Amino acid sequence: MSEDQTKSPTPQAFYDVIVVGGGHAGIEAALAASRLGKDTLLITMETAALGRASCNPAIGGLAKGHLVREIDALGGEMAKATDHTGIQFKMLNRSKGRAVWSPRAQIDKKAYSAYMVDVCNGQAGLDIFEDEATAVIANESGSEITGVQTRGGSSFRCQALILTNGTFLNGLIHIGNKSFSAGRIDESASVGITESLVDLGFDTGRLKTGTPPRIKRDSIDFSKTTIQAGDKNPEPFSFSTQDFDPPNEYCYITNTNEKTHAIINGGLEFSPLFTGVIQGVGPRYCPSIEDKVVRFAEKTSHQLFLEPEWTNTDQIYVNGFSSSLPEEVQLNSLRTVPGLENVEFIRPGYAIEYDFFPPSQLKATMETKRVKGLFFAGQINGTSGYEEAAAQGLIAGINASLSIDGSDAFVLKRSEAYIGVLIDDLITKDTDEPYRMFTSRAEHRLLLRYDNAHFRLAEKGYRLGLTTQALHDDVENQKALAKKTEAFFSSTYIKSDIINALVETQTTVKESQTLANILKRPGVSVEDIQTLLPDWVNDLSPTLLTLIATNTKYSGYIEREHLQVERLSKHQQMSIPNAVDYLSMQAISFEARQKLDKIRPETIGQASRISGVTPADVSLLIILIKKIVSRETR
Amino acid sequence: MLPFVEDTIVAISTPPGIGGLAVVRISGPLALETINQYFTSTQKLKPRYATFGKLKHATLGEGEFDDCVVTYFKGPRSVTGEDLVEVSIHGGAYLQQKLLEVLLRAPGIRAASAGEFTFRSFLSGRIDLSRAEAVADLIHAKDEAAHKNARNQLFGNLRLLVDSMSEKLIHSLTILEAELDFSDQEIEFSPPQALIDPLSEIHETTKALLETYFYGRRLEDGIRIPLVGAPNSGKSSLFNLLLGEERAIVTAQAGTTRDTIEKTIVIAGHSIVLVDTAGLRDAQGEAELSGVDRSLDEIDSADLVILVHAPDTETSIPEELIHTPQVVVFNKIDLVSERPENMDAYLSCTTGQGLESLKTALYAQVVNMVNMGVGGVVLNSERHRDVFIRFKDQVTASIESIQNELGPEYIASDMRLALDILGEITGKTTPDDILNQIFSGFCVGK
Ligand SMILES: Nc1nc2c(ncn2[C@@H]2O[C@H](COP(=O)(O)OP(=O)(O)OP(=O)(O)O)[C@@H](O)[C@H]2O)c(=O)[nH]1
Ligand SMILES: [Mg+2]
Repeated sequence: MSEDQTKSPTPQAFYDVIVVGGGHAGIEAALAASRLGKDTLLITMETAALGRASCNPAIGGLAKGHLVREIDALGGEMAKATDHTGIQFKMLNRSKGRAVWSPRAQIDKKAYSAYMVDVCNGQAGLDIFEDEATAVIANESGSEITGVQTRGGSSFRCQALILTNGTFLNGLIHIGNKSFSAGRIDESASVGITESLVDLGFDTGRLKTGTPPRIKRDSIDFSKTTIQAGDKNPEPFSFSTQDFDPPNEYCYITNTNEKTHAIINGGLEFSPLFTGVIQGVGPRYCPSIEDKVVRFAEKTSHQLFLEPEWTNTDQIYVNGFSSSLPEEVQLNSLRTVPGLENVEFIRPGYAIEYDFFPPSQLKATMETKRVKGLFFAGQINGTSGYEEAAAQGLIAGINASLSIDGSDAFVLKRSEAYIGVLIDDLITKDTDEPYRMFTSRAEHRLLLRYDNAHFRLAEKGYRLGLTTQALHDDVENQKALAKKTEAFFSSTYIKSDIINALVETQTTVKESQTLANILKRPGVSVEDIQTLLPDWVNDLSPTLLTLIATNTKYSGYIEREHLQVERLSKHQQMSIPNAVDYLSMQAISFEARQKLDKIRPETIGQASRISGVTPADVSLLIILIKKIVSRETR
Repeated sequence: MLPFVEDTIVAISTPPGIGGLAVVRISGPLALETINQYFTSTQKLKPRYATFGKLKHATLGEGEFDDCVVTYFKGPRSVTGEDLVEVSIHGGAYLQQKLLEVLLRAPGIRAASAGEFTFRSFLSGRIDLSRAEAVADLIHAKDEAAHKNARNQLFGNLRLLVDSMSEKLIHSLTILEAELDFSDQEIEFSPPQALIDPLSEIHETTKALLETYFYGRRLEDGIRIPLVGAPNSGKSSLFNLLLGEERAIVTAQAGTTRDTIEKTIVIAGHSIVLVDTAGLRDAQGEAELSGVDRSLDEIDSADLVILVHAPDTETSIPEELIHTPQVVVFNKIDLVSERPENMDAYLSCTTGQGLESLKTALYAQVVNMVNMGVGGVVLNSERHRDVFIRFKDQVTASIESIQNELGPEYIASDMRLALDILGEITGKTTPDDILNQIFSGFCVGK
């Protein structure tokens, strides 16, 4: 149907894939599906709002930067959009080892959204329809999705429906003791979807998140703040970005003080968070300022970051001051902060409560276990963050397409990608707080570096058909160079006197050593041994050379992690039939039986990661499942 | 607990305590490689052949394991479906134990958990499916037994000790992880060097705990308490009295007891092996001579000795006794009105007077001995010892990484591995446990 590249002015009645929501998850889902040749419709309340960053004007950061790189390797759009519209780039954790370096960028929110609108409009096979989805439509037994209904009275049929409703489902904004229905500020909430999902038997819950005030740039006295600039030689997010020369706009740092905290404490009686008006659980890693002042009362000051929302902006984002206190309390307390004495609001901070669907109801493909063809991605799954949302959207888009083709599912392992960790955590955990990625969540952290994302995943993106031949060739070429150089490092011996003259460490060496062993010595970097390297090595791109040096320097650790991955039981992948009756499995502990019954893992590996399920329980489960399977096949 | 990984495991496969032939089994990818480090023979090991040879290795005692038979089964044609090696040796519990200990020190080998061999047989399809329930019951039962064990006092204390080490380790790891995941925030991080102290403490505790192992084994097998003293001092009489039965022969003739007799009783909740011995004097005749020798051996291997004095005998205290804890008894108080000073108990086997005071003195000593462990904990399980040895090595590696100024992510990787090893006793520490600590301890989040 999508052979002709022009868009039909009126949408069709039937699509392969329909995506509801045009946020970070929705965009990646819609782009992936249409790029995989699926006839795709994106339903959004407002086309111009595609890719709108509703909270901070930044992409990436610790662990999140890894996600963005992985999205890029798999052919997603987020990294490219960031490179095109970023206004300040910075590598975090630079003082630490490569595994935990993480890129972060301030973006121009308007440009980012405009970029995404352009990409979506230009994408063959993707239609965009402005309306609000109000109900999902399933077959009579509720086992399979058939379409979606909109507020404007349209209804569309589809094979796969991907819901990426963000914070819009029954969204309720709180500012002091005012509360009103909305999906984001000045955008209406979405009503109906939750109810139609509950009718289909889904569990739902409430979460809360917040955003700080936006203030007028010309009301700030920047002379009282500290300037924070980006890196002088920034690295792009995307492997494909060439000639990278982004702007380096400033952010500014200032601090709250005891006066600020006194005013906040005085306003707590009007805080919906403390009066119990807000029922949803908020993220502990992203607390509101009133939360920080109360929970860490001994801290007399908190840092605030003043971040521009776009180039030549008149609007500044007050990072660190998320709040749902009444507007006057927010304003009066901010006015005690150096540089903000005369600050004026464009709008106050607010908290928003919204419906989510506990993601243990999903398979690793992001498809719901309950209804075939129905996928959830993004904040609807109780995650927070643009990057987490985009990653899920991409995986949902890919798997929706693969399932229509009848192809094998695309599931990343925990040892392959942060995306694998993210999704596996979501579906095996029962957390009641918005989920955010941290590097400590990845047990194979040393393998999952931001700089080797393409080495890990580009091949997969290429096989899926989401990346170009050129990119594939480029990555393969770099892999080969890396292999050659690593072999060179471990087979080239350098005489001891040369080493002792070159690198200053506590101990001198007595015998000649390989380049690899020299690199492994504490404090020795590849720059230190440049004079020992032939031109063909020194001519490698600095990024590639550092990647190779990291592989060599920490090869002991990397090998150990690979070994740990190998040691994992091959029964991790063993699948568990849907209809298993856990409750009757007397041999398994009662707690484990209940957890298993609730989550209904797809594989033994998933089962082993459910809290409360012990290794002995898992062994028993393997035995019982084998028995059930043999009985069924007989 | 069955760790959910497939690596090489070792266990004694003959029922414990039975003499004669002992079989130790090794199963997993490293089975062959491991045994080849210890086994020498004129022939190479061949699948499904029993090969006669000798066990030789620096870590094995001199000559103790001279002869053995090793049978190698190549996976999947073995009961576990993996490479499997069976080592048969002659000798009792001590040699089995010794061999097991040595094999456990080989790299990449760990002690099998309860039911693990059977479970592997099942997974490889060597136990047919109709017996699945039986295998499940076995694992279930062993797991239950482990839980019951967890309730006994000794294990309870071990658990407390492990929990406190694990808490200390998690706390240290939290500091590193916070720095890795929240370095963009205004938190003051202590340098990794600050972690050396808590890690060293953990290391010391583990080391001390490991040193209790031999002692723990003894506790497990029963505390050995021989009754020693001059002939005719009343050792056999006291032995019978403590047993509450006429087990040993009592006569008025000096030199009645020639061979040692032992019997297990329970004092303060602990198994005590009471041993009646021949009286100590210059022996007359060969039989008595060897009886005296045996008495001296008993003193050598005793945990505690009951030294019996009597007014009508004279005791020569042998050298062997000097370093052995003892309870000194003055017997036959019915015969005399005066008592020497500084005895632990005064009693008469004839009237039974003073028996309670002896029991009290014994009780105090036994409790004292049991508490000699680390915080009331002595190691007595080979599996636990295996875990603690690997744990200690990994803590050492973590300390070295800090000293070598490696980045926090590498130190954290070392410490996570240490926690994982300890987790084989406590259950796994998840990233959420660490994140929870970070959220409660640091003001993070913008
Ligand atoms: N009066 C009195 N006689 C005792 C007492 N205890 C033991 N005897 C007597 O002392 C003699 C020796 O007792 P045994 O118990 O055979 O002494 P033993 O130390 O085992 O002697 P050997 O086996 O020969 O080394 C026996 O005649 C006992 O009846 C006691 O408390 N009072
Ligand atoms: Mg006697």
